[in-house]
Amino acid sequence: MTKNRATTNDGACLRILESLGVAAKQVERPTKESEAQQVLARAFKEKLTVLPVGGATAISAGTLPERVDIVLDTTGMEGIADFDISNLNMTVLAGTTLDGINGFLAGQGNGFFLPLDPPFSQRATIGGVYASNGSGPFRLRYGTLRDQVLGVRGIDAQGGEVGFGGKTVKNVSGYDLTKFLIGSAGSLCLITAAVLRVYPLPAASSICEVTFPALGELEKFLQTLRSSVLLPSGVTVEPVKGAFRVLSAFEGHPLAVERENRDFLSMAGTFGGKGEAKMGREVMGKAIRGAIEPEGDAMAIKITVPLSEGPRTLARLKELAGAAKTVLFAGNGEILVYGADERIIDGAKGLASNGYVAPLRLHRSLLSKWGPRVNPTLEQFVLRPIKEKLDPSGVFPPML
Amino acid sequence: MEKEQVRDALQRIVGKENVLWKDVDLAVYSYDAGLAKGRAGFVAFVDNGDHVAQIVSFLCKEGISYVARGSGTNLTGGTIPMDGGVVIEFSRMNRILEIDIENERVVVEPGIYNLTVQNALAEKGYYYAPDPASQKASSMGGNLGENAGGPHCLKYGVTSNHVLGAEVVLPNGEKTWIGGKSLDQPGPDLMGLLVGSEGTLGIVTKMVCRIMRSPERVLTMLCIYSSIEAAGQTVSDIIAEGIIPATLEIMDNLVIRAVEASVHAGYPLDAEAVLLIELDGLTDGMDEQMKRIAEICEKDGAVSHRLAKDANERNILWAGRRGAFGAVARLRPAYLVCDGTVPRTQLPKALSEVKKISEKYRVPIGNVFHAGDGNLHPLILFDDRDADELARVHKAGSEILKVCADLGGTISGEHGIGTEKLREMSLVFKDGDIRMMRGIRQAVDRKGLCNPGKVLPAEEARP
Repeated sequence: MTKNRATTNDGACLRILESLGVAAKQVERPTKESEAQQVLARAFKEKLTVLPVGGATAISAGTLPERVDIVLDTTGMEGIADFDISNLNMTVLAGTTLDGINGFLAGQGNGFFLPLDPPFSQRATIGGVYASNGSGPFRLRYGTLRDQVLGVRGIDAQGGEVGFGGKTVKNVSGYDLTKFLIGSAGSLCLITAAVLRVYPLPAASSICEVTFPALGELEKFLQTLRSSVLLPSGVTVEPVKGAFRVLSAFEGHPLAVERENRDFLSMAGTFGGKGEAKMGREVMGKAIRGAIEPEGDAMAIKITVPLSEGPRTLARLKELAGAAKTVLFAGNGEILVYGADERIIDGAKGLASNGYVAPLRLHRSLLSKWGPRVNPTLEQFVLRPIKEKLDPSGVFPPML
Repeated sequence: MEKEQVRDALQRIVGKENVLWKDVDLAVYSYDAGLAKGRAGFVAFVDNGDHVAQIVSFLCKEGISYVARGSGTNLTGGTIPMDGGVVIEFSRMNRILEIDIENERVVVEPGIYNLTVQNALAEKGYYYAPDPASQKASSMGGNLGENAGGPHCLKYGVTSNHVLGAEVVLPNGEKTWIGGKSLDQPGPDLMGLLVGSEGTLGIVTKMVCRIMRSPERVLTMLCIYSSIEAAGQTVSDIIAEGIIPATLEIMDNLVIRAVEASVHAGYPLDAEAVLLIELDGLTDGMDEQMKRIAEICEKDGAVSHRLAKDANERNILWAGRRGAFGAVARLRPAYLVCDGTVPRTQLPKALSEVKKISEKYRVPIGNVFHAGDGNLHPLILFDDRDADELARVHKAGSEILKVCADLGGTISGEHGIGTEKLREMSLVFKDGDIRMMRGIRQAVDRKGLCNPGKVLPAEEARP
């Protein structure tokens, strides 16, 4: 990957935002952190509002203002600033896409990868994943960005450079703002670069696909799988024509993967599940991507519930969503619903009394009716005071 | 407010018998496992979250500072009262509230020992990954406050990767929840901020933690080296091979001799270094991986290596590692644990510099460390009755941290900043970084009463 390669994206940001009900006066697309710093310093001085945008795949994770003065398109800040193969970490500029990162890593040495797999990885930028706390089914084994990030660089609301964390796996020096900024949706700081852990590509990968005819059997199977010694990297469940299609990815030593395939299919068979295992990293990746991504840019929400409630909540959401794509990341209790409208959102909120419902990509009109996303005590005594302290003039969008 | 009035108010909340105020009683709470000492005005033993909320609310109103204290095993002065404030003592909030196997969570009170939780989970075939060497004595709440690590964090991550939710009393006395059994509370990662904040942003009164199924098989290997550099090379070579063991722990000769005199773990006294390697996971493929590791050890010049034959032998090997800090107390009356981290490949250079610092300041330094994640723990041995030696110890400790920072690492891997590393914060942070952290603290703790004097340097204290 070329460092700081400029790409043409003029107007794309504005069109996406317009489709979501956001009017913007101007787009700035810096290619260097210093240029982004200038934009923010000017915004602070001239009391302008700035909305940072990456691939816009989860742009509604934060608050979308009705009007913004400057859209700060981060996709121009693209590239690998540093790859430390011996210490298994890399520094990536915020506008770099996940597929770009993994394409780069696959070509290094014996091959490496970054285990972050939210939907639309071809467009999702690392800065956007950071801001929206994006995740995919592989969080079951690898966790989310909070488990992979070692350090972060950014620019504060006054245009000043900030940096937290570093390049070491352990770090408890000061407050852990590398984590705190995850999910902050550009409301506190512009993320400009991240230091991430990377992993050697596993010697073997596989994908097992089984279908269960009924919810009860699916639930029993997933509970048995969770309590077994098997270590799937990610498990997805999709309701398909009244049944449930389960994909489970395994990675590791070839002997371990072979045994896991065998045990997984045998376990599934005990609960009436039928299917097969396929070897290969490409086929695994393609299957998982097919399970979690819809065709087109549908409105989307994310629901998280305790693990044991996942299958039943998925089934209820499918009843609400009809033909729209719904998928559960089993083992994480995370469900994506595409094609979400007001009725589905209300239904989801009712179903997630032990968890959370969060917008990923929604029109402003739906976001404006969303209501509080965190409990009022946290909002009043923690989040709002922090926002007022770090961004007193409101350069960045509201927090929630 | 008069001292008697404060005492009476605390007694009304937690009961007369649960407040200490006499100097002789308070002395015990003036220090932790670090070198710094403080002064407590009162100690209040709490039994539940409501006690904590009422106490904090009262202290906030009266402008009296406070600090939460678990077992007092903190190594940087993080749990000592700085200005005669109130110690909120958690040793009685030590219950496991729920082990939820179905959802892979355990809910505990913060005063419970890490090992007590581990033992309860082990009975059900599960475990909680963070395993600080102090786990026999350190509390889960303290582990949260310091973002504790441990040997197995190489593969599984530190405390912040495993605490998913907490009931918290905010600095104004409001009790609320952050996160819970479900993942991804919307908004910024507040759990990520809270963990490791050393009790300066709120006091945790319940914790929801991730638990994991115990691995099918565990293999532990002890490798003997005639040089610590060779042991460090093996660590880098194993990772470069694409193998991520559960642990990679190194001890040097000084520590080996202390451990053998104390624990009798079976480490050879003439070894310059021992490396403990542990694999866990599925049985299939593990023998092949361990065989490959053994080849790497031999290539790097290991004098010998042997596998623990059974769980008993494995436990003995680990008893040596876990008892290392205590064992060195046989050599000198006191020690300072440094806790710097460096990128893994910088370990040999860092160790070489530590040796030079030992000679420069004429203080013996033993090394025991989490080699896999570059987390050094140089143990500077001294006699704290010798003021001159103590001064040299402080200089040596600070210089070791500077070495870590200069090598691209940081000044604390898992023990926190407390009061003892405030000056060194400027080695790894710029003014703007600290300003942002300070802004968060001021926003959440407006009166500055929540464990003041810790983590962040006061503006005038910065060099």
